[in-house]
Parts: sequence; C-alpha cells; structure tokens
Amino acid sequence: MSGRGGYFLRKVGWALVTILVVVSFNFLLFRVLPGDPAKSGLRDPRLNPAAVEALRERFGLDKPVIFDIESGNLFDSQFTAYLGALSRGDLGTSYAFRDQPVSDLIGRALVNTLWLVVPSQALAILLGAALGLVAAWRRGRPLDAVALTFSLFMWSLPTFFLGIILLVAGAKWFGLPTAGRITIGAEFATFWDVAWDVGRHLLLPTLTLTLVLIGEYMLIMRSSVLDIFGEDYILTARATGLSTYRIIRHHALRNAMLPMVTLIALNLGFTVSGAIQVEAVYSWPGLGALTVDAVGDRDYPVLQGAFLMIAVSVVVANLIAELIYGWLDPRVSED
Amino acid sequence: MSVMIEATTSPGVETRRGAWRAFLRHRMGLIGAGMLIIAVLLALAAPLVATYDPYANVRVNILDIYQAPSGEHLLGTDDGGKDVLSSLIYGARVSLVVGFAAAVIALLIGGLVGIVAGYRGGWIGSLLMRITDFFLVIPDLALQIVLVAVIGPSLGTIILVIGVLGWTTTARLVRSQTLTVRERKYVMRARAIGAGDAHILRRHIMPAVLPLMLANMVLVISLAILSESTLAFLGLGDPTVISWGQMLNFAFSRGAVSAGAWWALIPPGLAIVWVVLGTTLLGTALEEALNPRLKRHHLEAHGTDVAADREFAPTPLPSPGDPILQVRNLSIEFTSPTGPLRAVDNVSFDLRSGETLGLVGESGSGKTTTVLGILRLLPPGGRVVGGSVTFDGEDLLGLNGHELRAFRWTRLSLVFQGAMNAMNPVRTIGDQIIEAIRLHAPGTTKDEAVARAGELLERVGIGRRRASEYPHTYSGGMRQRAMIALALACDPDVIVADEPTTALDVMIQAQILDLLGGIARDYGMGIILVTHDLGVVAQVCDRVVVMYGGGVAEENDAATLFRDPQHPYTQQLLQSFPDLAHPDRALRGIPGSPPRLDAMPAGCRFAPRCPHAFDRCALERPPGYAAAGGIAACFLLDPDEDRP
Repeated sequence: MSGRGGYFLRKVGWALVTILVVVSFNFLLFRVLPGDPAKSGLRDPRLNPAAVEALRERFGLDKPVIFDIESGNLFDSQFTAYLGALSRGDLGTSYAFRDQPVSDLIGRALVNTLWLVVPSQALAILLGAALGLVAAWRRGRPLDAVALTFSLFMWSLPTFFLGIILLVAGAKWFGLPTAGRITIGAEFATFWDVAWDVGRHLLLPTLTLTLVLIGEYMLIMRSSVLDIFGEDYILTARATGLSTYRIIRHHALRNAMLPMVTLIALNLGFTVSGAIQVEAVYSWPGLGALTVDAVGDRDYPVLQGAFLMIAVSVVVANLIAELIYGWLDPRVSED
Repeated sequence: MSVMIEATTSPGVETRRGAWRAFLRHRMGLIGAGMLIIAVLLALAAPLVATYDPYANVRVNILDIYQAPSGEHLLGTDDGGKDVLSSLIYGARVSLVVGFAAAVIALLIGGLVGIVAGYRGGWIGSLLMRITDFFLVIPDLALQIVLVAVIGPSLGTIILVIGVLGWTTTARLVRSQTLTVRERKYVMRARAIGAGDAHILRRHIMPAVLPLMLANMVLVISLAILSESTLAFLGLGDPTVISWGQMLNFAFSRGAVSAGAWWALIPPGLAIVWVVLGTTLLGTALEEALNPRLKRHHLEAHGTDVAADREFAPTPLPSPGDPILQVRNLSIEFTSPTGPLRAVDNVSFDLRSGETLGLVGESGSGKTTTVLGILRLLPPGGRVVGGSVTFDGEDLLGLNGHELRAFRWTRLSLVFQGAMNAMNPVRTIGDQIIEAIRLHAPGTTKDEAVARAGELLERVGIGRRRASEYPHTYSGGMRQRAMIALALACDPDVIVADEPTTALDVMIQAQILDLLGGIARDYGMGIILVTHDLGVVAQVCDRVVVMYGGGVAEENDAATLFRDPQHPYTQQLLQSFPDLAHPDRALRGIPGSPPRLDAMPAGCRFAPRCPHAFDRCALERPPGYAAAGGIAACFLLDPDEDRP
C-alpha cells in the first residue's frame, strides 16, 4: 500500500491489532494467573454449593477458557463470552460497589481523569515546548543550564512526593482543598459555584501533573529543535537574510512539531503514570484512583476494566498522534 | 585470517579510552557516582550505622508515634513509633537491590531482543520490533499495578515485573547500535573473509554494544528505583520489607500530614531523589561520553564572527573599474581546547562582474571556510581575525546585523552543497522562493511573487507547475536546479556555489554547470564556484584560485593554469586528474595527506609532500611570486633564489 491513505490504514490496522492483543492479555491475565479473581470470589465459605453453581454460570466459569473442543461448539467459551460482553459495553459488576456496573464506574472516572490530564498535558506541552525552544536556541548559555537542571531534578522527583509537598504547601498557605472532586455536604446555589469549587479542587493536582510533565517536554523539544538547527536549510534561511525570529517561526517550529508529536505520543505512558500517582495523592476520583482503590479492595472486575480503559485510551491517543503526524509531514505520502 | 581481524578491531579500544577521558571531564557524572557510592555504602553498613533495628518487633507505645526529631531520634519517629533515620538507612537496601536486579533482567531481555532484531533482521527482527512497539505503547505503571496486584506483592514479584516491563528502551538502543556496527567496513570485511556469526558477535558487535548497554543500565536502574517506590507508595510494596516508598505510604495514609510530622514525609522522599538523581547524573554522563552528540547549530548566537582587533588595510576609495568583490589577506581562526586554529590564512583574490572564479582544493583546504567567512556565516567558534572583504566598495566585515540581512541574497546569494537538505522539507519549493522574494521586496504582491517564482523555475528548467511540490518529490538534479532558482530570486550580483555538482551523476553535473554558465552570461553575474573537482573548473571557470592548507597556493586564469601550472601542488593536482586530450598519460596521486589544522608546518604548507622541497621551504612560508601571468606561493619562483 502506498500514499497517505495507505499510511492511515496501516496505522489504524496496527492500533486495532494492539487493542485486540490488550483485550486478550487482559482476559487471560485475570483467568490464568494464581490470583484468579472470579474463583476467589467463589471461595467464600458462606456460599452454599447451589449458589456457587449459579454464580459460576452467571460469570460463565462453567465454560472452557478459550476453545470449546469437547462440545463441538468451538467458540462457546469464556473468551468469546467476554468478547461478546465487551462489545455490548458490559465489563461486569463491581465487587466493592454492589450492583454498580463496572462500565458506569469507569465512565465517570474517565471523565474526571480527562479533566485532570487534558489541561495539565496542554499546559505542560505549551510551556515545555517554549522552554525547550529557548534552551535549544541558547544552547550552553545560563538559561539552558537552568532549564536542564530543572528538568533533571523534576525527573528525579517522584510524582507522588511532589504531590505530597504541594498538597501540604497548598493547604497550609493557600487553604486549598486537598482531596476529592467537590466539597462534600456543601450546598451550591448556581452552576458557577459548583464550577468554582471543582476548580479549586483541581488546582493542586493539575499543578503537580503539569510540573512533572514540563521537564520531560522541555527535554524533548530541546533535542528536536537542536536537530533542526543543525540542518542545512536553516543555514540557507540565514543566508537568505531571514531574521532569527522568522527562521524559528517559519522554518524551525513547524519541523520541530513533527518529532514532538511522535515523542509526545511515545510519552503517554509517562503521563498516565503521573496521573495515577496524582489521583492517588489527591483522592481525585479518576481512573488512577479507581485502579488503586480496586487493588486495595481486591475488586478485580473494576481493576480489569480500568486497566483495559487506560490501555485502550493510550493506544487511541497514540493513533491520533500518528494520524496528525501523517497529516503534517508531506513526506509520508511517499512511503 | 585472525591477524587481519585483530587489526581491524582496534578502533573500539581507541574510542573507549577517549570515552573514559570524556567521562572524567564530566563533573556531573562524578557527582552522580559519588552520590550513588554514599547510598551503597550506607546500605551495606546499615546494621553498623543505624542506631535502631527497624525490623525488630517492639510493642508500639502510643507516646512514641510521630515524635519530633531529638537527640535520641535524629529524624524523629514514624507512625509506628520507629526511628525514621534507621528505617531510612535500611530502606536504601530495598531500593538498590530492586533497582539493580530489575535492571539486570531488563538489560538481559532488551539486549537479547535488540541484538537478535538488529543482527538477524528479517521477519524475526520485525516481529521483535513489533513486540517492542507494543510494550512501548502499554502504560508501564498501570500494567505493573495490575500484575503485582494479581500475582501478589513480594520483593521477587516486584523485581520481576519491573524488569520484564522495563526492557523496551534498551532493546531499541541495542538494535540500532547493532545495525550500525553490522554495516561497518571492518565487520563486512571480517564477514567477507569467512568469519562466522559467533565470531562477529563476540569480536565486533558485543564490544560496540556493551559499553552503551552499561550506560543504559544505569538509567534503567534509576527508572526501576522510581517504579519500586511508586508501587510501594500505592500500597503494592512487599509488606515484609521497609522501603522508602512504603515509609511515605504509611506516613501519608496514617496522618503524618495532619500531625505535621514532616520528618516522616520529607526524608524518605529526599532519599529517593538522592539515589535517582545520582543514577541519572551518572547514566547521562556515561551516555554522553560514549556517544557525544554536540551538533551543528546554525542559529547559535555567537559573540562576534569578526574580531574587533583584526588587522586590515583601510578600504581604498572605489573606482569604476574595480572588481565587485575584493578579498584581502583574509584570516580565519577557530577556537579549540588547545588554542586557536587557523583555518584560513592570508587569503586574497578578486572577482569581477560576469566572471566565474573557481576556488579549488581538497577537503580541509579552507575553501568553504573562506566562503563562509566572506558571507559572514561562520559557525560558532569561527572568527575572522584579519583582512578585509570589500563588495562593490562596501566593507562586508563591518556590516551590522540589520545591514547584513539586507545585503544577503540581494547582492550575493548562495547555492549550497548537497541540495538534499538545503531546502526545508515541509514547505513547498515555490513557497520558499516566494519567501525570499517578498522578504527583500516587501512591496511585491503575492501574485507578483508567485509569477516571479514561476519564471525562475522555468529559467532553471523545472517548469512553474512544480512550484507547489515539496523537495522530496524532486530528484537530486532538480533540487539543485531549485536551489539555483532560489539563489536567483532577488537578482543578486554574485552567486557563490559550494560544491553544486557533488553527489550528482556526470550527465546531471554537466547540465547543472551549463545552467550556471548560462546564468552568468545572461545576467552578467559573478560566480564563485567552490569545488574539489578540477574537471568542473576546466568546464566553466575563467579564473582559478588553488587553495592548500588554508592558504592560496596559486592563482591564474584558467587556460594558463591548466596549460602551465607553476606551483608543484597544482602540477601534481593536475596529474592526478584524467585529461581527455592526453588519455595515455599516467594518472598519479599525490603521496601523503593534507596537513591538519593543529599540525601545520611552520614553513611552506606543502613542503612535506613536495618533491622539489629544499631547506628554505621548511623554515619560511613563501609569499606569492608573479609567475606565468598569475601568482604562485613557492620559493622555486623566487627570482633571488639561486637554486635551479
């Protein structure tokens, strides 16, 4: 396949394969590994054998894991049942929150996570890119050294530790709320009061995540821009008589965007890791906190669903980045 | 067989020794190593250094909880009434063991995958890279949490999970290094004389890959330590051991914040920062020492590219018959750790309007540096230290930034070497020509600029319809034509073409030279053609300046120079090129190699390779003597010299 359409198709295909592998892995992990969640739920001594059977049937545990060879109906297995349920958006029922469908819990958590991650990510990319650009332009100068030291230090600082420090400082000196999404028990007159309260809760987590991400994006931008500043066409642009500002604006920035897009996508795991820690520290009810709580509660359906959601979101975000790349780079249509 | 292979493996040893020296110069790496050594010593000596045993089973006394630092407990006590400092010292053991063990696992997997993918290639290679890509996409921490939660949090599990998920960057690094080494000449040669895979892997691939892997391992350790502390903080640490992340987890979830017990929170956090910062500093320094990446930087702001105290004769008042470009005694130096290096020394020449001047020399002869100095485009570290450049009566070396930008492209423009990257790959050819036109003639409307760009493209034989295409759709020769069109955009008086035909095949070379010659004729432009190829010079140049070792060896009009070369270097250079008029003449290379900038002979630069050299040549530098209507810098031409 060739041309831009071929590139897009290939990328979408690869993302679908990745998602399929994630889904299968997610399924097998929770069936095969020693801590088999569904079985352990059935080990409760208070259950009588009939109830156990009923539960086994309800969870489909009476069926074979992947292929049904004995009955002749090859595809009537736990795996196909899982895929079927998944395609209906059914991720099972939470153990810890009785009768709550996992998909509902995850849907709400995802929205909260996006409220945290999107602004932090946008802010960090913007500030990090600006900082990285200036650092690259002034390579070896004091400003570059300061920026490099900052990003090195931020890299060595565990996100959860930075979260704790900012939490203590923010609560002590600015009276900011330190846990949850909204003040519990408070009465709000208007929508704006709600927004103001949520915004105050969001401030410290967003600040933490932004700070953690800035250093990383600064480094990425710095090295991308340095690569471009060494290119022949920058020398051509200088020889043409363009001012430094114009060269950066019209020749370097657009070209630096390309590696930036790729590297931001590759770095999404880092963002997710940061978000999980920030949510845990500030009890921000997103996917990360949900995951950590599910571990504590041994709530395996939620853990399984949350992991699937996180992994698929990252794969999709990656795909979007690759599509943007293909759209930005005229050379893609050649390959 | 083995003798030859031994001889060809030596470069590795040389670079490793250099890398070690580079590392020692890195203060940052030494600081990191120091920080790490302190942590390792404390971990080893924990039972001796710690005043309390944090693993001892002591009944918790409610009064002991969160005690502020005192003489008895230097860093206070934690939520269980235990001494924070002792736990901190013992915690170093867990962090370092997990970090090291997980890094070893990650390195083994990553190294194996990388070497197999890089060395074998083929479908196995692409399958392995697909798998690597897959693991690269899956968010680490989320997967670590799920795995540790399902398998159960023991130290062994944590090490295994972090190690098994942490190999992707190593695999990519090792693969690309293996690919590079595999294509090296000495490996190809070893393969050609029948060396087996095992031999090549052991003698060539491993020595090149191992040092990089070691540097990478240090960075993987820092990642593993961060992962361990994060898992422990999230409640997924081994409950039977004391680690820094777990100390933070307990303190944070058991009221240290509301109790104001900063001593239970800050020290374990700083301990993690200490070790991770130490490993990161060390790893970064090692990587940079092994793989120095100081790149060219065309926008680097340098103090000045013209020395304020340069010596030069004042520019004479312009008169009508003057050459358009006069270069007088131009000298250029580069800063280096061992002192300034003179790349261009005392170079003088003239260019008249409509004349094509060839600037010829081997690589390293200073011809490109001369041109960059004239154009005020020297890279950082390069400086004009003497001489003058006069363009149409104007002192080029005295222009300020604003005047310089206005001068560039309107009076003098450039055609770069290797048009591959000389134009921006993500902007269309037309767009880049239009940008130059409108920059220097701000009154031009968009339509006028588009029309003009089209005319220029047509003039160079491309056709206006291809203006909207990107450089990568052009062939090499077409890109060179497009570059010439760009150079013509503002109707300059002089074009400098730096190796415009290098890397093009002979047919295309001839076309490009024809084009340049035609343009010089049609527009009456002066052209300076910088090249190492005498054939190119013979084809288009009116005058020739031969450079050697940063200075001018000989200057004359092209016909005389080819017929009657005066300088021994020119003579030998001509003999090393095929001559179509005398196809039976034997070709001879020049023995020896051109001098290095840091080892320039004190006398004549060519003396060490010159068959006619005599004692004076080693002592004095020859000035230019008039000969055959031109100038040549050789004592053989000194009328006062009484040698034959």
